[in-house]
Amino acid sequence: MLKLIKYEFIKKYKSAIIALIASAVLNLFLFTKGVAGSSIFLVFFPMVMAVVYISDIIKMYSDDLNKRSGYMLFMTPNSGYEIIVSKLITAVIEGLSILLIYFIYVLINGAYIIYISGAEINFNEIIITVDKLVSGSFGFNLAHVFMFLLTALLFLISFITTVYTAMTIRKSIFSEIKFGGFLSFLIFIVLNWAISYVSSEVYNLLTPYYNSFSMSRPTATELVYIMMPINIWSIAQSIILTFFSGYLLENKINL
Amino acid sequence: MDLLKIENLNKKYYNKIALKNINLSLEQGKIYGLLGPNGSGKTTLMKVIAGLHNQTSGNVILNHQALSYKTKADISYMPTENFLYESFKVKDAVKFYTDMYSDFQEANAYKILKEINVDTEFKISKLSSGLVGKLKIALALSRNVDLYMLDEPLNGVDVLSRDVIMDLITRSYSETKTFIISTHLVSEIEKILDSVIFLKDGNVELSGDAEELRLSRELSIEGIYKEVFKNA
Amino acid sequence: MEFNNNIPIYIQVMEKIKQDIVMGKLAAGDKVPSSRDFSNELGINFNTVARVYKEMEMEEILFTKRGLGTFITEEPERINNLRYEMAKKQIETFIKGMQQIGYSKEEMIKLIELEDNYREGIE
Repeated sequence: MLKLIKYEFIKKYKSAIIALIASAVLNLFLFTKGVAGSSIFLVFFPMVMAVVYISDIIKMYSDDLNKRSGYMLFMTPNSGYEIIVSKLITAVIEGLSILLIYFIYVLINGAYIIYISGAEINFNEIIITVDKLVSGSFGFNLAHVFMFLLTALLFLISFITTVYTAMTIRKSIFSEIKFGGFLSFLIFIVLNWAISYVSSEVYNLLTPYYNSFSMSRPTATELVYIMMPINIWSIAQSIILTFFSGYLLENKINL
Repeated sequence: MDLLKIENLNKKYYNKIALKNINLSLEQGKIYGLLGPNGSGKTTLMKVIAGLHNQTSGNVILNHQALSYKTKADISYMPTENFLYESFKVKDAVKFYTDMYSDFQEANAYKILKEINVDTEFKISKLSSGLVGKLKIALALSRNVDLYMLDEPLNGVDVLSRDVIMDLITRSYSETKTFIISTHLVSEIEKILDSVIFLKDGNVELSGDAEELRLSRELSIEGIYKEVFKNA
Repeated sequence: MEFNNNIPIYIQVMEKIKQDIVMGKLAAGDKVPSSRDFSNELGINFNTVARVYKEMEMEEILFTKRGLGTFITEEPERINNLRYEMAKKQIETFIKGMQQIGYSKEEMIKLIELEDNYREGIE
């Protein structure tokens, strides 16, 4: 499976480098526009990248399902489960990499904004801020941040699995029907509707559970418990849909 | 010994039937011609065996094993289309095969590519269709497996490249390898075939030993092909 | 070698080998190529060549020395037989053709002698 992931990245490393250079050049250009320019970059980079990211992860799977070059992948002696899981792992790594790059831009542009606004960088203050964050003086600490990130990551994974499952259903059960892309989208909508219907029923049942926590200022431990149902749901949804997609790829596929 | 056994194989799509109740036994060490006009089910049959399409009903047994991702390790399938990833260079495709198939003989692939003048630094999207045809066959034949399936290896390939491809196929044959070669260019390929399978509208219309058929019908395989598909 | 696809290929290959033997292109005791090499050379199926060798071994025109390969028979009698069979075949076709255009046996013999004398005269 590592080899499958390796080739996913081999296929996209060139466009990734181009995107990275383009964004760096754009950022440098915006540096000349002062604070406003640097801030605009920080605002729009995540928006543009979200669109690029989602279209890229859709393309990564859809090309293999719909283009001839997908034969190359599906002829290899890897099970459908391995193929879908390798796609998911690739998508997650790609998402985290984009996040990391954004974080680096925030640091660079932040430093630049402080620099041109004439303020001196006070390392002591930074250390104090970090210390406050870790000790929880802001009312939340790193554990909270970690919890939010984890929840977001699990949500992202469940989102990608849902997209991939919709595409797999279209290429197996509904293969040979025209308007493939549109059909995949319809299946995705229906799938999402069904999932949110079931999940809202489940969350309703959990109301007493939620009521037992103070929602305004939860401690880190409380946050873990509050997020637990959502996270368990994301994990369960991801696992079930991944197995379902793997099963379809293994038994019902028509490339 | 039977290498591949196909029993009551059916393949239906949403709105059409592609294969109807196919029953075949393929022996080890033979070259089979899968003959029929376009749309007769040749490609579908190969794709089912290769695991790119899953059958609707029936059994396909390779080496006593039902088809699964595991049997893909014993099959070298060459689709008729240019299926190689376009932005790959030739050497990237070779690397891909080396990485993905433990039976792939990298040195042999490079030897063949050199022999047939395919530049390994070339991008696949820049290759002529003749070169793509030769590259595909070099990759497929450099695997060391029980079953080779070549879908229309001569399609879209110039006359000189055709000779090269035919030569590569006869040279890579060994008594432990079985070949299925689909074609509608029967006259060019018939002299390397042991047996033929005529597919018509998803049915096996006729199958048998090529020499016996020539003897009993006093016709070339191409002549028989023309008779079988007269009204097709 | 060019093949006529209407006739089983193994028969054509057998004929060719026999012809080569009678014409002296292949001598008694010569080694013939392995099935593999020969099929590659002719661009035909390996099993076809294997079949040719098997059939010709049964006809005792070829024989196999274990581990050494396949050879042409060393018995002159077998080769003479081959030559005789080929001659017979030629004569059969000749007679059939002549009969079709209405020649009797006597006329045929007369014509052959006449033609032969004429050719000797030229030489």
